[in-house]
Amino acid sequence: MASRVSSKGKAKAAKGLKGSEESSAGRFVKEWSTWAMKKAKVVAHYGFIPLIIVIGMNSEPKPQLTQLFSPV
Amino acid sequence: MGEAGKGEKRVDYMNLPCPLPFEEIQREALMSLKPELFEGLRFDFTKGLNHKFSLSHSIFMGSTEVPSQSKDTIKIPTAHYEFGANFLDPKLMLVGRVLTDGRLNARVKCDLTDNLTLKINAQLTNEPHFSQGMFNFDYKGSDYRTQFQIGNNAFYGANYIQSVTPHLSLGSEVFWLGHQRKSGIGFAARYNKDKMVATGQIASTGIVALSYVQKVTEQGSLASDFMYNHMTGDVTSSFGYDYIFRQCRLRGKIDSNGVVAAFLEERLNMGVNFILSAEIDHLKKDYKFGFGMTLGE
Repeated sequence: MASRVSSKGKAKAAKGLKGSEESSAGRFVKEWSTWAMKKAKVVAHYGFIPLIIVIGMNSEPKPQLTQLFSPV
Repeated sequence: MGEAGKGEKRVDYMNLPCPLPFEEIQREALMSLKPELFEGLRFDFTKGLNHKFSLSHSIFMGSTEVPSQSKDTIKIPTAHYEFGANFLDPKLMLVGRVLTDGRLNARVKCDLTDNLTLKINAQLTNEPHFSQGMFNFDYKGSDYRTQFQIGNNAFYGANYIQSVTPHLSLGSEVFWLGHQRKSGIGFAARYNKDKMVATGQIASTGIVALSYVQKVTEQGSLASDFMYNHMTGDVTSSFGYDYIFRQCRLRGKIDSNGVVAAFLEERLNMGVNFILSAEIDHLKKDYKFGFGMTLGE
């Protein structure tokens, strides 16, 4: 995942090798984007199927809630 | 070429048909020669709630192969239940499948404008660093198509395909892998007439792939396929048939690796399909037989 690229960048910054040279703004963006990607992945993982179900249940003609669970 | 007797129409080079997308260039050959062979029991049930939205339940019990270093194939018995939801709209398509171990397969296709389409393909897992995702932006012109891809692990790719005559289309692709700093370029050509399709693909990764499909009767076609991998020195050639009758579809193929396979889908009733799959690998002595049933459209 892209988190691998960003975590590599994070590790490099944490080592402090070029700590003073690498701008804190750049480091901040990398860490923030890693955090955002991780949260986005969790949201997508749990929310994608419920999203499809919500969109489907609201499309025309609206199906009944019982139809969602019954096998017929 | 335009006025060659027999009343052929002049070719209007400004008005060529739109070509197939680059990744579907070998579509006919793949459909005929690579059916979804499986080993074990497969049961699929699709329930439509309205004509756009449907749910699917799928059970699989059988063996899956694990890649092994030795010559023997290692098979692990697996069983899983898969729940899926599909939403199909002319402008938006959402397909999601989730397995009992938490793996999610998601596909999104969205028409942003008439000519621009966004496609997202993702496999998300609970284990860290095993998830994959790919974003594709497709632009369709009057006689060309172009696509830009962004994938995880810093994968970037682009491809372009253009119709040069009413029957011939040429395309090329480039890709770049960020982590391994590898890049590649490939070219493809597709020639199709009413009853035949010939395609060729060559890539800088050392792969040459050719295919040819010929429709021999109303119901059936024959297909053949050749693949050469320069890096590993693998050469594979296969030859198969694809017959579509009123109640069934039968596909069979034989391979230069000594593999014979067949796949039958029989329509028992409206919405009830019976599936048989067989794959016999004579060289490795690996025999795979599967059967299944599909209910619903």
